[in-house]
Amino acid sequence: MSARRLTRRNLLLGTAALAPLLARRAHAFGEKNRFIPAVARHKGRWDTRLSGLRRIAWELQRRTSVEVVPDARPFPLSSPDLFEYPFLYFGGEGEFPPLEEAEVANLRRYLTYGGFMLADANDASDGAGFDASFRREMARVLPQSPLAEVPSKHVVFKSFFLLDAAPGRVLNKPQLMGCNLGKRAAVLYSQNDLAGAWSRNESGDYEFDVSPGGEPQRELAVRLGINVCMYALCLDYKDDAVHLPLILNKRR
Amino acid sequence: MNSPSFNAWKLVSLSPLPPWALVLLALGLVLGVALAAWGVRREPSRGRRVLLWALRVGAGVAALFFLLEPGIRHLQVARMKNRVAVLVDRSASMSFPTEVGGRSRSEEVAAFLERAAPRLAELQDRFTVELYGFDPELAPATPETLMTPARAGTTDLLAAVRSAAGAGQGSRKLSGVLLFSDGADNTELKAGVVGRARAALADLNVPVSTFTVGQETLKDVAVEGLKVDDFAFVRNSLTVEVEIHGRGFTGQDIPVVLSQEGKTVASKVVRMESADDVRPVAFTFTPDQTGRFVYTVTVPTFPGEAVADNNTRSFTLKVIRDRVRVLLVVGRPSWDERYLRGLLRQDANVDLVSFYILRTLSDDPGVVNDQRELSLIPFPMEEIFDTKLDTFDVVIFQNFGHADPSLSIAEYERNLERYVHNGGAFVMIGGDSVLGEGRATMPTLMEALPVVAAGPANLDAFKPRLTPEGLRHPVTGIGMGAASTEAAWAELPPIPGANLTQARPGATVLLDHPHLTVGGKNAPLVAVWDYGRGRSLVMATDASWYWAFAAHKHGSPSRAYDRFWGNALRWLVRDPDLTTLKVTADPPSVEPGRPVGVVVQARMADYQPAQDAQVRVELFSVATQKPVAVQTGTTGTDGVVRLEFEPPAPGPYKLLASAKKGETDLGKGEDAVAVRAVGPELSDASVRPELMAQIAKETGGKSYTLPQDSLPDVPLLDPPVVEVGRARDQPLWDRWYYLVALIALLGAEWFARRRFGYV
Repeated sequence: MSARRLTRRNLLLGTAALAPLLARRAHAFGEKNRFIPAVARHKGRWDTRLSGLRRIAWELQRRTSVEVVPDARPFPLSSPDLFEYPFLYFGGEGEFPPLEEAEVANLRRYLTYGGFMLADANDASDGAGFDASFRREMARVLPQSPLAEVPSKHVVFKSFFLLDAAPGRVLNKPQLMGCNLGKRAAVLYSQNDLAGAWSRNESGDYEFDVSPGGEPQRELAVRLGINVCMYALCLDYKDDAVHLPLILNKRR
Repeated sequence: MNSPSFNAWKLVSLSPLPPWALVLLALGLVLGVALAAWGVRREPSRGRRVLLWALRVGAGVAALFFLLEPGIRHLQVARMKNRVAVLVDRSASMSFPTEVGGRSRSEEVAAFLERAAPRLAELQDRFTVELYGFDPELAPATPETLMTPARAGTTDLLAAVRSAAGAGQGSRKLSGVLLFSDGADNTELKAGVVGRARAALADLNVPVSTFTVGQETLKDVAVEGLKVDDFAFVRNSLTVEVEIHGRGFTGQDIPVVLSQEGKTVASKVVRMESADDVRPVAFTFTPDQTGRFVYTVTVPTFPGEAVADNNTRSFTLKVIRDRVRVLLVVGRPSWDERYLRGLLRQDANVDLVSFYILRTLSDDPGVVNDQRELSLIPFPMEEIFDTKLDTFDVVIFQNFGHADPSLSIAEYERNLERYVHNGGAFVMIGGDSVLGEGRATMPTLMEALPVVAAGPANLDAFKPRLTPEGLRHPVTGIGMGAASTEAAWAELPPIPGANLTQARPGATVLLDHPHLTVGGKNAPLVAVWDYGRGRSLVMATDASWYWAFAAHKHGSPSRAYDRFWGNALRWLVRDPDLTTLKVTADPPSVEPGRPVGVVVQARMADYQPAQDAQVRVELFSVATQKPVAVQTGTTGTDGVVRLEFEPPAPGPYKLLASAKKGETDLGKGEDAVAVRAVGPELSDASVRPELMAQIAKETGGKSYTLPQDSLPDVPLLDPPVVEVGRARDQPLWDRWYYLVALIALLGAEWFARRRFGYV
C-alpha cells in the first residue's frame, strides 16, 4: 500500500496522457450527457479513492469511444441531483453510520429507475468494516434483491475486455457481488478495493501497490473498471444474439 | 246445515282447551283405566274381570270424546288446471324440407298439430294447453303462424324448455311439455345431454315428450367447424382447420379450396368414408401482407343437395406485423443509448439488433492481442446496410456519424435513403457527431430527414415546447387527451442542449426549442415527415434520457419516455391504429340477412379529429370485382361516422373509404368484411332424433317421430294443487245421548262393582 515515488518522467507522462482528453473536451456537446461518475457522500470515509475514479474515467476515454468528464461529483445520497448522474460510486474505508431514511429511499428510487452503483470496499474488508456497514445498508435499500455472487458468465466480464476474474488492489474475493433488478445488475460490489488499484497521486504515480499480482493485476483491475463502466452504459449489449457466437468463439 | 257450496269436509277437534291440558286429561283417563284393571286383577272370575275393565274403558273413551269435542269442518275446495306447454322450434333449420321437394319441417309440425287438435282439446278439461314457438325466445303461436318460414339463427332446446317451466312459476304449474323440433341444437345441447345440461333437464321435474321432425337421409355436404385465430402475423405460417360434413357421399372425393379474396391459397381433397362422415381438413399458409382480408373455404355444390348455401364458409383474418424489428446503430456508448436500449430490450414487441461503436481508430485499448483480449466484434456494414437492410422495420442512428473511412457509411447512404423512400422507417438521434456536429455530414441520407442542420449546437438547458401539431400527434400524445399530454410534457425536466436544425418544408415539428430560432421559427427538437412511402423522425438531442431517469428525481414515477418512444415506433411502422383515416368493419363477419356496418374515424394531418368531414365508403365485392353500393356521411365532433349498407349477397367484400374536409383530402383507408352464406343454423341440415330421445328419457317423457296420425298418450303430471275457500264447523259432541251414554257406563260399572263386592 505504499505510494509511488513522484519522478519527473512520471509527471511528464501523466501530463502527456491527459492532453488528448483535454483536446476532445474542447468540442464537447452537452457535458452532462457524458460519463461523469457521481460519488456517494456518506458519513464514513467516502472520499479516499477520488483520484482512482478520475483515473478510470481517463482510461475509459483513452481506451474506448466513450466521452467522459473525469472529475467525479460527490452528492449526499438524499440529493435529487443524483438523477443526472446514472453512474454512482459508493466506496469507503471502515465502518460508516446507518444511512438516513431519506437517503435509503432516494437510493432505492435511483437504482429502481435505472441508476447504476459500483460499490467498493476500500479497506478490502470481509464481514467487518465497510463490508459489514454496506451489507447492512443494502439490506435496507433493496431488501428484495439481496447481494449475490456475479457469475463468471455475466456480461460485465465481456462488455469490453474479456475477463475471467475481478481483482482490485487486492484479491480477497475472486468474483464480484451484485444486486439484480429484473435482469439488470443495478449494483456491483467489489471487496478487493477496485479503485485502490486505479488511484494515482497528483504527480501521476500509482498510490498503492497491488497484490498479489503486481502490475498485471493492476491492468486487470483497470480493465474490470472499464468493463463495469461499459456495462453501466451498454447493459447487456454483448449478450445480444447477433454478437454472442463471435464472443464465445473468442473465449475458446 | 250444509251449504250447497261446500264440497268437502274433515273431522276436527273443537275443544277450547290448550293441547297440553288435553294431554294431561288424557293421561288421567289412561291412568283411570289402568287402575281399574289393577283393582280387579285378583278377581277369580275372568268374565267379571273383563266386564269391569271393559266398562271402565268404555267410560274413558266417552270421557275423551267430551274432552276433544269432535266436530265436522265443511270446506269449499277448487281443483286448479295445470299447464301443458307445446313448444315448436322456429329456427331456420325448420325451413329445410322433410324430404326432397317435400314440405318444410315447420309445415309438417303445423299439419300434425291440426290433426292433434281434438286430443289437445280433450286435455283442456284437466290442463291449460299453451302453444309457443321458440326462436329461441318463447312467443305464443298458432298453427297458422307456424306455417310461416322459420328464421331464427340458433336452436336452444334447453332454454326453451326452461322458459316454459319458468313461465308457470306461481299458481299454475307445468304438467308436461310437448317439444317439436329437428333436434339440431347448436347451443347448450350441441354436445348432447351431458354434464350440466343433463342436470338442468333433470331439475325441471317435468316430463318432456319430444316429437322429431325431418329425415336423416338428406344428401348434403357442408363446411363446418371452422377453427382459426382472429389475427395472424405476417410472414408467419398459420393453420386454418375446417370440417367437411358429407351425408350421402360415401366413397366420394370432395375438393376443398381455401381462397383469399378470389385468389386460391390452398386446396385439398377429402374422401367421405361413410354415409354420414365428418372429415377434418387443415390448410397451412403464410400471409405476406398486413391488413384485414376475407378468406373463403369452398366445396362444390353437388346435384340433389338439400342445402347449397352451406358449401362455402367465409371468415376475416387480421394479419398484423410480427415484432417490430429495430436496427439500433450507436456512434458511441452514452446515457442516451443506455436508456433507449433498456426500453427497447424490455419491449416484447421489439426485436432489437444493435451495433455500437465501442472503439474508434484513435482509441488505444492497451492490449497486445485484440482478438483474444477484447470482446469487440466487427461492424458488418455491408450486411446491415445492404443485404439485410430491408429486413428491418425501423433503423435508428443514435449519434452515429463517423468520417473515419473504416466506420463511415458514405457508401451506403443511398441504400438508406432508398430504404426510407421505399417504405422503411428511420430515426436520427442527435449528439456531437451528427446534425451539423462532427465531420460526417451524410448529405444523401439527410435528404430523407425532416430537418437540416442549421449551425452549432446550443448547449443551454431548456424545456422543450409542445407545438400545436405535437399536441395532437400520436408520437407526442403521451397523455389521455390534449390537456393530459400538455401536462405530461410540462412535468418533464429540462434537457441539457440540442442540435440546431431547421425544419424542411412539409415536415411536422412536434417539439421545439422555446427560445432558439432558425429562420424566424423555433428550432425543432422532434420533427417527423413522410418521405416517399416511408417515414422518418429526428430527435435533435442526445439528452432524451433525461425524460427516462432525471424525470424521477422528485419521486413521482414518469412513463413519458416509454410512451414517447413507444408511440414513435408505432407511428413509424404505420400501426393501423395511428392512420389518419381508420376504417373498421363493424362487425367483421356478418350473418346472412344482416346489414354491413362500417365505422370511419377521420383525423386531420395533425391528428386532431376531423369534424364535419365528408366520408365516402364503397362496398366492393371481391368475388365480382365490382362495387356493390356506396354510402356517404359526415363525421361528428369526434371525427367518427358509422355507415350501414343494406344486406348484400353472401361473399367477401372490401370497404374502401375516402374522406375530405373542404378541399383537404384526408386520405384513404380500407377494411374487409365477410358476409356469410349461412349462419350456424343453416350450415347443418341434419336431424338429431337421438338428442330428442335423450331429452325425453332424461325428463320422464316419451319420444316420437313425425308424422303421427294423432297425439299419443304422453306422460303428464296430475294437477296436485287444491285451493281452500270458506269453511264451517259442525260440533258432534253436544248431544244429550252422548252424556246419557257416559253416565250409563259409569253407573253400570259402579253397579257391577257393588254387586261383585268391590265397593
